[in-house]
Amino acid sequence: MKKRLFAVLGVLVVVSFTVVGCAPAATPTPEEVATPPATPTPLPKATPTPPPATPTPSPEEITLTIWADETRAPIIEEIGNAFTEQYGVEIVVQQMGFGDVRDQLMIAGPAGEGPDILIGAHDWLGQLVINGLLAPLDFGDKEDLFLDAAIQAFTYEGELYGMPYATENVALFRNPELVLAAPQTWDEVVEIAAELEAAGTVEQGYVLQPGDPYHFFPIMTAFGGYVFGQNPDGTYNPDDVGIDSEGSIAAAEWLDMMVKEGHLSADVDWEAMHVMFENGEAAMFITGPWSLSRLRESGIPYAISPIPDATSDGRPFLGVQGFMVSAFSEDVLLAQTFLTEFAATEETMQALFEADPRPPAFLPVREKIEDPDMTAFGEAGENGLPMPAIPEMSAVWTAWGDAVTLIFQQQTPPDEAFTNAAQQIRTAIAGQ
Amino acid sequence: MSTVEAKARGPTMPLAPLRSHIPRIALRLLGLAVIDAFTLWFLYQLVIDGVWFLAAAIAIITLGINVVFLREGLYPIRWLSPGLALMLLMVVYPVIFTFYTAFTNYSDGHLLTKTQAIRILEKEQFLPEGAPTYRWIAFSSPDGEYVLWLMSEDGKAFLASPGEPAREVTPGEAGVGPLDEEGVPQSIEGYERLSRIDTVRFISELGKLEFGEPPNTIKISSLDKAAQYQQRYVYDPVQDAMVDPATGTVYRAVEGTFTSLTGEALWPGFQVTTGRQNFQRLLTSPALRGPFIRVFLWTVGFALLSVFSTFVLGLFLAIVFNDPTVPARKLIRSLLIIPYTVPGFISILIWVGLLNPHLGVINTNLKEFLGWSPPWFSDPWWAKAGILLINLWLGYPYMMLVCSGALQAISPELYEAAEMDGADAWQRLWHVTLPLLLVSVGPLLIGSFAFNFNNFTVIYLFNKGGPPMAGTLTPAGHTDILISYTFRLAFASGRGNDYAYAAAITIAIFLVVAAITMFNFRYTKVWEEVSESV
Repeated sequence: MKKRLFAVLGVLVVVSFTVVGCAPAATPTPEEVATPPATPTPLPKATPTPPPATPTPSPEEITLTIWADETRAPIIEEIGNAFTEQYGVEIVVQQMGFGDVRDQLMIAGPAGEGPDILIGAHDWLGQLVINGLLAPLDFGDKEDLFLDAAIQAFTYEGELYGMPYATENVALFRNPELVLAAPQTWDEVVEIAAELEAAGTVEQGYVLQPGDPYHFFPIMTAFGGYVFGQNPDGTYNPDDVGIDSEGSIAAAEWLDMMVKEGHLSADVDWEAMHVMFENGEAAMFITGPWSLSRLRESGIPYAISPIPDATSDGRPFLGVQGFMVSAFSEDVLLAQTFLTEFAATEETMQALFEADPRPPAFLPVREKIEDPDMTAFGEAGENGLPMPAIPEMSAVWTAWGDAVTLIFQQQTPPDEAFTNAAQQIRTAIAGQ
Repeated sequence: MSTVEAKARGPTMPLAPLRSHIPRIALRLLGLAVIDAFTLWFLYQLVIDGVWFLAAAIAIITLGINVVFLREGLYPIRWLSPGLALMLLMVVYPVIFTFYTAFTNYSDGHLLTKTQAIRILEKEQFLPEGAPTYRWIAFSSPDGEYVLWLMSEDGKAFLASPGEPAREVTPGEAGVGPLDEEGVPQSIEGYERLSRIDTVRFISELGKLEFGEPPNTIKISSLDKAAQYQQRYVYDPVQDAMVDPATGTVYRAVEGTFTSLTGEALWPGFQVTTGRQNFQRLLTSPALRGPFIRVFLWTVGFALLSVFSTFVLGLFLAIVFNDPTVPARKLIRSLLIIPYTVPGFISILIWVGLLNPHLGVINTNLKEFLGWSPPWFSDPWWAKAGILLINLWLGYPYMMLVCSGALQAISPELYEAAEMDGADAWQRLWHVTLPLLLVSVGPLLIGSFAFNFNNFTVIYLFNKGGPPMAGTLTPAGHTDILISYTFRLAFASGRGNDYAYAAAITIAIFLVVAAITMFNFRYTKVWEEVSESV
């Protein structure tokens, strides 16, 4: 009996290996690996011709797989159905977390099990392109229907890798009952904050959480600072780290002053920042469209305006979300056609906007938007700088964020904190 | 029971029992056959996917299972084989794979195999400046041949088929019928115009074809665009290099990246073994000269203090609730175990919320009563205290459980004898309880030390290693332990994720932990001697 039990156990063990090991191997595509690299001088006559078109093969022979997050998946499913109806090409939508799409693509793509189309953010480009995971695309005339900055954001080393659908950027939020007019400069912000704090109306006039370089960037640009220098064609130059540039240090010194004068506190984190604004304990802060639903729910009055200026324009980071096509797709052109014919339409883009309101990148929809919040974000993002998509950016976030935190905590003088952060970034980029 | 054993009992043994075993043997063989069939199918999938390493490991394990089940002499091992197989696959294989990875360049930019990288690079194409682009319409013949009708921007029309030069044609020539209002022939002899639906359906196939005579071939690049695209790079196996035919630049394969003489690199690169490079980088890295010592000291301190504090509190509670005179001791003891049953992930996040300087219950109350509250997340020492506090909460129930069990095992006679000799409570604890307790609990303390040495979860969830250290060569935080510091080094490098480097550092940490553990085990032998002499 027992021996038999073990035989059964043995089978179970191997089955479990199979199940565990098989997870990524669920849809093996043998052609993927079996195909030899393309011959240098292609011999067209030897190229296998596709099956004749007249006797139409059954629809399930051609499939496009799309990876989308929970917000986008139902919409893609819907337009997928329309596409299937019209062209007999099956669309399979696989839902996964927004960030998981990138991580999973790195594993599944090279194994030949990835998607044909994926939805993601433009700042993934650098990492995905140096890993050879994205196919360059050509949208022809359709390109003109998109916001130029969004197309630029999805362009990497001269090639276009994605179809944008939404842009996002931060803007200055203020409580219009406490701050009547939108401050135009950071000096005004300090003035208003000092007044409100002195009068005891609020705990803090303006709030910012420590260690958050993303929300500090607009202040840094207002003082003329930058992260990576830009080449004449607008691309970022990893050899020109600007964290210790004159403007960046000026911004760091401004931050130091704010902390020293008690206008900013090291204790306020993201949650506290929100709660303070929602309770009327703070009058101004910087945030993006992701905060809207929360603020609307809280019932606190708010107004959105562009980032204030200082010695130069305050410019937020511009993030762009869009569709990309996997380099390991067998049907890159079909995927591209799906995007140009079915995604780049007013209905689809409108649906994507309604599911997750952010300023659309598709101009016909963008121009029709009536939501005043969206218009305000759009205005605040007009001079936005695309978030660097170069892989070197991964060396920047922690070092830069630590420097901001050290100033908040008054551990290090501002110039020293930023100079050291720049040094850390240069060391990491040099690959040591 | 088996045939060999039956035979071994001697020739006088009747054949009947042997016969009765035949169904069992058959069943066993059938079981093995099923396992082998599964494995073969699975291996086939793995080999197709190019996962040689895992395929080899599974092949060896399955072979082992077969040997164990077929050789009668290995009968006792059969009982262990499921466990052994799982251990090989889930423990030994990952360890070997980590070692292997440490000697490669597996990282962002080097995820693909060389074949894949070459394929991706050879797909890269460009349109020479000023080259004309065409609108196209595809026609297909009954035997699956395609021709393209190309319309240039200046109003000319061309017919292109694979392998033959594209030529300008006017209606009437070459079987081309009259044009419709779009300028597309209504018929081409022997071909039929591809409907829009089929054009979309087969566009990827059409995209793989080259129309016209090499090298001047035309390819389609979208639903309404075709042009003479040129391949940007060609792989030359003789030089093991990618060559740019337009400029003649040669990009040789250097450590997993095709690099030109001027140092220009082509991406993607590919995976290769790079020998000791990752270890060399680790030893010469500024990360080692920089905050490493401080991080290392805190790692040891954190692990030691965590073990010590949880042990002291656990032992104290165990002793208290070991006393039958304590009222409701079973209920209280059960309640005290609760922190152990809540997943650490959740407890830590709850604690982080409680300690929040602005909103947390603990801090808001302290502020109310004392007018001051500890800056748990911004002060280096308070952050360390906070982490130790959370880890104490997470760890004491385990120590209490272990000590409760061990206390029961100490003979009451020893205490009686000690009392007779005039030992007070402290002396009994110090000279009787502790030495005997440590014999059984000692190895668990060492285990707990090793666990906390690599306790990434609590560090990362508390404050991601922060608050940051000032003026370091690489970013590091005051509460970073080696493993969270490694995470920073490997996944915030200049080019994204560096898995190979992470593997190398992990091995280095493994050596450190192994050395400390060995030392500790040797030390605990002292306690065993104590127990022997009692």
